[in-house]
Amino acid sequence: MISAFLFRGLAGRIAWVAAAIALIGILVPLSNLFLTPEHALYVPDYIVSLFGKYLTYALLALTLDLVWGYCGILSLGHGAFFALGGYAMGMYLMRQIGSRGVYGDPILPDFMVFLNWKELPWYWYGFDQFWFAALMVLAVPGLLAFVFGWFAFRSRVTGVYLSIITQAMTYALLLAFFRNDMGFGGNNGLTDFKDILGYTLQEPSTRAGLFAAAAFALCLALIISSAIVRSKFGKVLLATRDAESRARFLGYRVEHVKLFVFTLSAMMAGIAGALYVPLVGIINPGEFAPANSIEVVIWTAVGGRGTLIGPIVGAITVNLGKSWFTAQFPEYWLFVLGGLFVAVTLFMPRGILGTLSDATGKLKSLGSGKATALVQDPADASELRKEGEAS
Amino acid sequence: MSSKITKIAAALALTTSLISASAAFAEDTIKVGILHSLSGTMAISETTLKDAMLMLIDEQNKKGGLLGKKLEAVVVDPASDWPLFTEKARELIDVNKVSAVFGCWTSVSRKSVLPVFEELNSILFYPVQYEGEESQRNVFYTGAAPNQQAIPAVDYLMAEEGVERWVLAGTDYVYPRTTNKILEAYLKAKGVAEEDIMINYTPFGHSDWQTIVSDIKAFGEAGKKTAVVSTINGDANVPFYKELANQGIKAEDIPVVAFSVGEEELAGLDTAPLVGHLAAWNYFQSVESDANAEFIDAWHAFTKNDKRVTNDPMEAHYIGFNMWVKAVEAAGTTDSDAVIDALPGISVPNLTGGYSAMMPNHHITKPVLIGEIQDNGQFDVVYETAGLVPGDAWSDYLPDSAKLISDWRAPLSCGNFNTETKECGGKGN
Amino acid sequence: MTLLRALLVCLVTLVLSSAAVPPSMADDLQDTINALADGSLKDRAEKVDALLATGDPKVVPVLSQLADGNLYVRKADNRVFLTESAGKNFTLTDPVSGEVIPDINKRTLDKIKANNSLRRQIRDGLSLFALNSPDPAKRLEAAETIFKAQDASALPAIEARLAKEQDPEVSAFLEEARAGLVLSSDASESDKLAAIDVLREKGGRQVLSMLTAAAEKGEGAVRDAAERAVVAIERVLAIWEGVQNIWYGLSLGSVLLLASIGLAITFGVMGVINMAHGEMVMIGAYTTFTVQQVIQSTAPGLFDYSLLFAIPIAFLVAGAVGFVLERGIIRFLYGRPLETLLATWGVSLMLQQAVRTIFGPTNKEVSNPSWMSGALDLAGLSLTWNRIWIFFFALAVFGLLFLLLKRTPMGLQMRAVTQNRNMASSLGVRTPWVDAFTFALGSGIAGIAGVALSQIGNVSPNLGQSYIIDSFMVVVFGGVGNLWGTLIGALTLGVANKFLEPFAGAVLGKILVLVFIILFIQKRPRGLFALKGRAVEQ
Repeated sequence: MISAFLFRGLAGRIAWVAAAIALIGILVPLSNLFLTPEHALYVPDYIVSLFGKYLTYALLALTLDLVWGYCGILSLGHGAFFALGGYAMGMYLMRQIGSRGVYGDPILPDFMVFLNWKELPWYWYGFDQFWFAALMVLAVPGLLAFVFGWFAFRSRVTGVYLSIITQAMTYALLLAFFRNDMGFGGNNGLTDFKDILGYTLQEPSTRAGLFAAAAFALCLALIISSAIVRSKFGKVLLATRDAESRARFLGYRVEHVKLFVFTLSAMMAGIAGALYVPLVGIINPGEFAPANSIEVVIWTAVGGRGTLIGPIVGAITVNLGKSWFTAQFPEYWLFVLGGLFVAVTLFMPRGILGTLSDATGKLKSLGSGKATALVQDPADASELRKEGEAS
Repeated sequence: MSSKITKIAAALALTTSLISASAAFAEDTIKVGILHSLSGTMAISETTLKDAMLMLIDEQNKKGGLLGKKLEAVVVDPASDWPLFTEKARELIDVNKVSAVFGCWTSVSRKSVLPVFEELNSILFYPVQYEGEESQRNVFYTGAAPNQQAIPAVDYLMAEEGVERWVLAGTDYVYPRTTNKILEAYLKAKGVAEEDIMINYTPFGHSDWQTIVSDIKAFGEAGKKTAVVSTINGDANVPFYKELANQGIKAEDIPVVAFSVGEEELAGLDTAPLVGHLAAWNYFQSVESDANAEFIDAWHAFTKNDKRVTNDPMEAHYIGFNMWVKAVEAAGTTDSDAVIDALPGISVPNLTGGYSAMMPNHHITKPVLIGEIQDNGQFDVVYETAGLVPGDAWSDYLPDSAKLISDWRAPLSCGNFNTETKECGGKGN
Repeated sequence: MTLLRALLVCLVTLVLSSAAVPPSMADDLQDTINALADGSLKDRAEKVDALLATGDPKVVPVLSQLADGNLYVRKADNRVFLTESAGKNFTLTDPVSGEVIPDINKRTLDKIKANNSLRRQIRDGLSLFALNSPDPAKRLEAAETIFKAQDASALPAIEARLAKEQDPEVSAFLEEARAGLVLSSDASESDKLAAIDVLREKGGRQVLSMLTAAAEKGEGAVRDAAERAVVAIERVLAIWEGVQNIWYGLSLGSVLLLASIGLAITFGVMGVINMAHGEMVMIGAYTTFTVQQVIQSTAPGLFDYSLLFAIPIAFLVAGAVGFVLERGIIRFLYGRPLETLLATWGVSLMLQQAVRTIFGPTNKEVSNPSWMSGALDLAGLSLTWNRIWIFFFALAVFGLLFLLLKRTPMGLQMRAVTQNRNMASSLGVRTPWVDAFTFALGSGIAGIAGVALSQIGNVSPNLGQSYIIDSFMVVVFGGVGNLWGTLIGALTLGVANKFLEPFAGAVLGKILVLVFIILFIQKRPRGLFALKGRAVEQ
């Protein structure tokens, strides 16, 4: 039944993209591990870890698109779910160090020894087990989103108010995790990881494996999201986005719909964070910074929201640009990046993908455009509705 | 429909081609990486260090380069974003093939690049005073460890000013936490009572100091001579000192000694009301020595601005860079292992008129200077340690680190050797 | 040292009565002064004492210049001079003969350094000289210094002065200084009880510690009286502390109000999620910096008024940037509020980098004019002038803006356009221009806020970032589109923050405030002052 449900997600171009991601997830690690550096198709280590990171960003952007593009909830706090997932994974990795820390304490992480903590705080229990950490990666962001959403959606907090309180949430978490008394390593966060599930993190093969995992997670998340938006539930979702009151009058429990999507999205964001941490090697409160969450919104918008594929394109494009500009024009890259955001909003209001499909759509307006039209037209409708709301 | 695939492929191809293009130049120069934030919150402090490094490299090239080759600086912007530091470090070493990297400011940025340097076996020179409790084979710490800054400063205040009551105020992150832990232990060992120590932490960029400054004032009016030891970080200092000045806390009454306030930070302040407040560093721009005069002139010429100040981390880069140059010359190669082995024992002139040496624990020897703020934004040195103080990687005042030592020379080759169990900790395996 | 002091006090009175100084003494003085330059900082304390012991009024400028760091020694002959900076060179004055030597190169001189303990010694020592100064303000300051220094040897000098003091204010201070010294001396019980009464009237923390010490050491009636006085003073202090805290809260609230009031227009009234708002504040702060630089190089005399020039200029500069921003970008995005977020975020990145490129990445110094420095001591309170000014400035800006919106034709048009654009348009209002000017107004006010905020914090490219989140919280908490909401919201959050800070600490206090905002929005999803009516119905 589940497979049938997921199969529905593989409609139209989603199938192609999912296949492409899966293919990359297999071929890139293979090329990195088994080809010699001289080979034309060799993917260097550097690219593997860089694109591995981009894949987790893409996953994060995808989860945001699910709530923003399809449910109209602009979350300016999605970075918080990402970071919480990351912290859960970081705590597992931290416990894996064991007595190999600089002070050689078998239980306490280095930063606790160093601040004279005598015993492990209760909330660190269980994180020495991978299954527990993996559960927490889903549970903690999920629970936060559930509680937050339960209050917010029931009180019918919408629009910018909702956006700003999600921002308040991530800002409060930022400040909290900065506190050394919290027991999460303060500003430095969690670092100095050694291995994951017994594989040394510094090995190229581990990184290749993580790359594959990130690609697989992204692929799966894409299919799940696509299946959801294409299901009957997805229709209710769109109805909620486009005319919340009307959907409510028709008898749908709008707040339940929102709550479900918000929680699911937060859990997937947690997975993105959990994959990100071993690839980057550090998690610290900086990930909670409101600016980071805004950036995720920007990736999604640049790629084209309400398309599922757009956020992936956007996350990779923007980050690729950032990586490249910071090395090539270290003094001026902010002008370029800032200019890019302005240009995209002005000239490509529907993002890269929206603009592309507009162009191709004109060419083959009666062809494969059907499935996408279903998704994209309501996006325009929501623009109109927001216009009414704003003026 | 398949535009996505072509896009990714194109992107991949683009990066790879760019990378190989930039790698092609690598042959006839020695590359030096500069990993300092040029944007974001840390740009305030780090941009100056990038300029200082460019100047040092430029001067070395004028002297004929190194090993008969020109040096080439590779500047990247990690944008005060810690994961980006990791990425950029990897890019510098793996893609640009730099021989050594000079960079980082915050502890967290150093921590985030450590695994990269370890894995790719490269060299990092870290120029900022920090909390200690670390010694890594690939990193050379040219800034001060707590025993090269905090403890002499407290000693000075006790002896010269007769301070009996202490406020330890800091930003809530690892450097102030550790420094204050060390100081608390040290003060208690010196017989200071628990109630005569007040510890206060504030968040980064804290801007409303009214309550805390008035608390300090109240704490200082209790009869005993009081001093504030400030480990408040960068941005928060300007509003802190402005509030101090306006609430009328004079240095003669309650002196504030800071470990993170240098010439650069004072440049954003009117220092007239702050005369007499102190800072402890290993270098001040006002130090009178020929090397320093020369350095300042070169700096002004390089930046084409004779108002630009110099500061302690710049001196640390000056020392670190010259040490690296000397080590490469001694080793005859830029190969990491050879240079890492050659570095301990190397001694180069510092800017305060003496010599600094790299020690086996990868920290350096430095004089400790205590300066009082003057109304022109400079410091007057009021105290200088008699000799050079060697940097201590593992503090003697924290119970768990007191038993650790670090020695990267051949037989031991360990960053955290436990003198009790006679074993090298997890890192040395 | 106490002995020396006593000696000195006698000398002061003695020397001041004899006007002429014999030449041999002048030579001695010259030598004692020149000796200051010898040896290290540690030896200097004794030499300062020796100078104070001469009791010669000529040592007063020497010592005060030493304390200020203006005393130099000529390298050629080790003679010590008073100096005055004249451009790149110094004008020297001989401390004994008064001979003036102009235009001396700094490099031929060495500065004589002083440190804190030396400065303290000089300040305390010179206060005894100042006790007999003809200027009552100086006498007052001296009496205060003596009170703080608590040096028993000063007692005879105080009593001598008290006998002939005419000024009642100075007398009162001298009485207090005397009482403090009497309390710690071995005077009779009745004297001590009288002293306790005097001190109890004075109050304050230093008195509290003196009385606590007296209560611990004293016996019988003295101890009881001291204990009673301690309780009384503590009670008063507690009340003042509460008042102080409210003031701190209001002051923080006024900073929040200034930071968010521009946003209340661009975001609250116009619905633009203006992430570049913080950068408008930054532009205002940098304008202040530039204005101060220009004034300093062209008309240093006007420096105290620099802020008065900066306010209109900052308004115009930030307003102009806002105008360009609206015409160039935002007007294409009306009706797509969330996209204004993206575009303005991009703009904010560019503005930050632009400032970094033009002014450099480091902090810039913006000075407080003299009327904004220091503190106002009001009973048990110490209110800093810059905060007081900012508080009233914030209220004034709010009031003006309110009047502008409610009482002028332009304000009428702005409200009309934001309430019903089509209707306003059909009634002949040129809506595009109203939009542009409204946005420019919001930006200009942010610029003005920058002028004020430059007085209490950093002026750096990151300045805007540190205010943007707080500003959004204030506007949303107060209720989007309602100026009163912004006012009440800002002050409430400020006071709440300051009341939480003593219990929870600065960080936790802020977290609690954020949680409170989140919960509050659940209760009132449209903020404190929600707009009512169909316009906001979904």
